Amino acid sequence: MRADRLIAPVSLLSLLVALQVLVWLAFPPGLVPSPLGMLRATRDHVQDLTLPSAIARSLGRVLAGFLIATVIGLPLGLLMGLVPAVARAVGPFLDGLRAIAPIAWIPIAVLWFGVTGNAAIVIVTYAAVLPLALSAYQGVRLIDHRLIQAASMLGAGPMLRLVAVVLPGSIPILITACRLSMGFAWGSIVAAELAVGVKVGPSGGGAGIGQMMAETLFTRRDVDTLAICMLCVGLVSLAIDYLMRSLGRTLSPWTQ
Amino acid sequence: MMRVFARIAPPLVFGAAMLGVWQAVSAILANPELLPPPRTVAVALIDLLLNGDMLDDIISSLQHLAMGYGAGAGLGLALAVLCARFPLLMRVLDPVVELFRPIGAIAWIPFAILMFGVSSSVPVFLIGYGALFPIFVTTLAGVRGVDAGLLRAGAALGASPRMLVTHVVLPSAIPHVLSGARLSLGVAWAAMIAAELTGSDSGLGWRLFWYQEFFRMDRVAAVIVMIGVLGVMADLLLRGVRRAVVGWSPEDQHAR
Repeated sequence: MRADRLIAPVSLLSLLVALQVLVWLAFPPGLVPSPLGMLRATRDHVQDLTLPSAIARSLGRVLAGFLIATVIGLPLGLLMGLVPAVARAVGPFLDGLRAIAPIAWIPIAVLWFGVTGNAAIVIVTYAAVLPLALSAYQGVRLIDHRLIQAASMLGAGPMLRLVAVVLPGSIPILITACRLSMGFAWGSIVAAELAVGVKVGPSGGGAGIGQMMAETLFTRRDVDTLAICMLCVGLVSLAIDYLMRSLGRTLSPWTQ
Repeated sequence: MMRVFARIAPPLVFGAAMLGVWQAVSAILANPELLPPPRTVAVALIDLLLNGDMLDDIISSLQHLAMGYGAGAGLGLALAVLCARFPLLMRVLDPVVELFRPIGAIAWIPFAILMFGVSSSVPVFLIGYGALFPIFVTTLAGVRGVDAGLLRAGAALGASPRMLVTHVVLPSAIPHVLSGARLSLGVAWAAMIAAELTGSDSGLGWRLFWYQEFFRMDRVAAVIVMIGVLGVMADLLLRGVRRAVVGWSPEDQHAR
């Protein structure tokens, strides 16, 4: 039993040791992040606040994009679920749009919104809005129809049915939708900032984590910092996932 | 007849309305660089297809996709089967997988550029990385989720271990494998565009960047349309495969 629990740490530790040995052997030179170097890079970038402020700016953009996306996507999905004609009309286009990767819009987003970070917000909004709308639609469709029928039999009008049955009934799925699309939004911010930022000169005012990675890559070629940034991207997405899950448990305790 | 009409009419009306809005806005702006009207984009698309580079771009994108997706999905599938067979391997790999899984494919772009330089290896690597995890996770769940009762029934009826694998484990895992393959393809498609746009010298994503540099927004829009069309076609293809192979399975009913 004790030996079993050791497997995970040993596995991770041997990965780190292997990386460090590769670095000491200088093979391939400058391409393998060294764990010791990563520690040093973390200390430096946390001390001069570049890393925390880059993450904060990216998170700000993700939040802004996500909020815009909820304002568009949730009502659209609810409408699709409530009015079948809307679903039939809009559905095929949402499917088609889903096949266009968010990043493909970068040239147009940059043209319309400039390189100052608004273009990245647009990309994030686009990445988040489709999963939100589609899952809200699914959520409404999956509500137990007997509940709606029971409510209307008891005399509830359409408005009351919406507020008292449909909305509470779809909360768990809406929360899941928010969790997923927040994940998509965070996943696309790096590419959005990377593609936008390379053109502005990355050390400009509003550099997020993507711009920081671009600068690290193109001007300093510092693989340790790059690895730290990647780990931070992963950590933030874990944190978002965890927060949204606990939010879901608070808002819809009956699903447990 | 009426029913077919009722199904086809709403998307057609909505599509016509969207085209109308696009046409009207571009007429008001009267600036084909900012918002090319639909007709210009259609002409650009046909022109690029007939006497432009678009076929080359599509072919190189599909090459990236085939190489990256083949490697990533193949590796994910093989790892999942090995992990299901040898629990120790699973315990060793699990922490590593959990370390890398939250780091989305897109966060690897700078690192991939550092490793491979700006070349078609960047999209191939990104596609492979993006495709790896969804198919690994779903296949593992599929192989592990085989009904133990079926296994015992097979064994009781005298099936050899090999027959159990070919007649029980594989058929019940295939629906999971296929939904993993579809998830993987979606992730891989988005990763491909992002990687080509930022770190490649060929493919549809790179061509977006190229036309942006020349400020040919009609061609940018044409490439975006083509990306959407190809993405929908790839998804339809996998859906068709799924229906042909596992139309019988109960999982298929709600997974669709």
